Amino acid sequence: MTQFLSLLLNGISLGAIYALIALGFVIIFKASEVVSFTQGSLLLLGAYTIARLSGPYGFLVAALAGILVTALAALLIERLVINRLRGAPVISLAIVTIGVDIILLTELIRRIGPDILNVPHPWGGDSVRIGGVGISQNRLIAMLVAGVLIVVFFLAFKYSSWGVAMRASAEDGEAAALMGIRQGRVSALAWVVAGVLAAVAALFLVGAPTPGVSAAVYTVALRAFPAAILGGLDSTGGALVGGLLIGIAEALAAGYQEQLSFLGRGFGEVVPYVVMIIVLLVRPSGLFGTKELTRV
Amino acid sequence: MRAGKQVRGVAVLAAAVVVTAAGCSTKAPDSGGGGGGGGEAGDVATDIGIEGTTIRLGVLTDLTGVFAALGQDITNGNTLYWQGNQVCGTYDVELDVQDTGYVPQTGVQLYSGMKDNVLAMQQTIGSPINTALAPEYEADTIVNFPSAWARTLTEIPGTGVLGATYDVEIANGYQYLFDQGLLQDGATVGHIYFEGEYGENGLAGSEAVAEARNLTVIPAQIKSTDQDMSAQITQFAAAGVDAIVLTVAPAQTASAAAVASAQGLNVPILGSNPVFAPGLLQGPSAQALRDNLYVSSPITAWDAQPELLEQYQQAYPNTTPSLGAIFGYAMGDVMNQVLDAACESGDLTREGVLAAFGELTEIDTEGLLVPIQAFETGVSPSTQSFILRPADVPGGAQVVEDAFEGEIATELAG
Repeated sequence: MTQFLSLLLNGISLGAIYALIALGFVIIFKASEVVSFTQGSLLLLGAYTIARLSGPYGFLVAALAGILVTALAALLIERLVINRLRGAPVISLAIVTIGVDIILLTELIRRIGPDILNVPHPWGGDSVRIGGVGISQNRLIAMLVAGVLIVVFFLAFKYSSWGVAMRASAEDGEAAALMGIRQGRVSALAWVVAGVLAAVAALFLVGAPTPGVSAAVYTVALRAFPAAILGGLDSTGGALVGGLLIGIAEALAAGYQEQLSFLGRGFGEVVPYVVMIIVLLVRPSGLFGTKELTRV
Repeated sequence: MRAGKQVRGVAVLAAAVVVTAAGCSTKAPDSGGGGGGGGEAGDVATDIGIEGTTIRLGVLTDLTGVFAALGQDITNGNTLYWQGNQVCGTYDVELDVQDTGYVPQTGVQLYSGMKDNVLAMQQTIGSPINTALAPEYEADTIVNFPSAWARTLTEIPGTGVLGATYDVEIANGYQYLFDQGLLQDGATVGHIYFEGEYGENGLAGSEAVAEARNLTVIPAQIKSTDQDMSAQITQFAAAGVDAIVLTVAPAQTASAAAVASAQGLNVPILGSNPVFAPGLLQGPSAQALRDNLYVSSPITAWDAQPELLEQYQQAYPNTTPSLGAIFGYAMGDVMNQVLDAACESGDLTREGVLAAFGELTEIDTEGLLVPIQAFETGVSPSTQSFILRPADVPGGAQVVEDAFEGEIATELAG
């Protein structure tokens, strides 16, 4: 039982981080209908900035700077690339983001080089025990922060004028523009928010129990993809549920590897994609995605 | 409302990104060069990879992938050795260094670009890349030194594994734990290992020891990109393991040690030689590693080689000396013994070098590596290992047990 609870808690904490990244995909998709593949490199940019600056300026300044730099980078990508290609087919824009991602990633990997950069979180590698279940403080704080951020954004979508504008642009760009909604601004803000979320996720991803900033941090964003998709690409609630689902499934599959060995060792790796495929087979728009309506 | 339509397309794109990301690599600037030349130095026959009195050797290393830290250090060691040494007192050696990023496909491509210009391979990092290149190395009669110790590599003609294979190495590590009273017969151990040659071969060592000493082994396979060992260690804690065994990279070592200490699992951690990097002692899991980590290794530690350390620090003042650098230097030494032997027999062609390689026995690197008996197909070239532990010395590790042979090492060696 302890093992199950421990794996569950670990899965939830991992899932919370996935949810933050998935939320970034969702926000950009809602605002501009673009599926952004840049989240991985933005995540790594955030992690790299925090690690590099925390030596000279301390953790807090570095964390804020990391979030700022990542948000700025996201804004630049939107302004310099995505905004200029507005009107292009969304699938082309998605491919463009893959290109941007590879460029940014290659440069970051070159800069990180052979090192594993350590981020001196004030909570370090300390852990808390709840009953018989141990979890690192870093992951515990990550869960809380992710929870708060997700609630804030959920409310913002529903009630703020930005949220309404964004939903209107996603629904029908032309009508929204005619109603005076500045789509460029909505899209830019969405990218900034996605950048912030990526950097916050990065902040916790490079703490205990993972070893610090290395190029492999990038691959975590790839696991948040199935989270966003199975939740429904246009649903913020879906990003949360999808993230948690993937995190828990992955932790359980890895933790019960022995019992699942008839499926082949290393099954935990493919679990996110298996879960995604099963969900999509049952609900093609994802768990909470808007159903496609076709009038005949 | 177009979400539904795009979802499937996005899933395909996501898969495409995974594939592309895995293929990223950068190329070292130093490439190209002349082809083969005739024998100019005395009566020594030459064919490919020698021009005048310069021998060109290939290096396929990892400068940007999961073993980047190790790759950089090994390459530094190779370079340092050849800066100070000549073959036969006549030939200088030039290295053609290329970065595979630990991706086999990239390795195969880079090799096809360099193969007409190099006499032999000074270094090929990683079991998967060595395995991928095996048919070509065999066809091109190439002598190659892998910075990997998987059993399958000993099957490749011309490829010289420099030390005990991973199964023998781990078995020697267990022997040390038994000898020190840190592990008893009938105990339960959890073994985290990479998928592929490296991990599987390490696990084979655990399984052999388990049979001999009645242990229960809980295997947990991971991918080299996995960073978080929480689930695996949780599983081990639930099973009440008496030791954790790792055949992984340093990042996973750090995570495993951190999680184990968070869960109150205070047991010895035994690792194959690639699990350790000195940078780990600056991270949050430093204390857990100091307390519990034992590394079984074919390579000695820096504290046993003060002169080489001084030389290395002069050449690379801003780097942390790691075991990889010692290994790189020793690789140069063994290659030089092969090339010297070939040169003395008057044949520095690839065939000649391969013949010299096959005849080499009782290879002594003056304590840099464990003694190597010979390079025979399918046999672990050595039965011995050093035991190292983290310590506050240059290189971050010190030798706690000099090269020794465990009880089942000879039996396992084949």
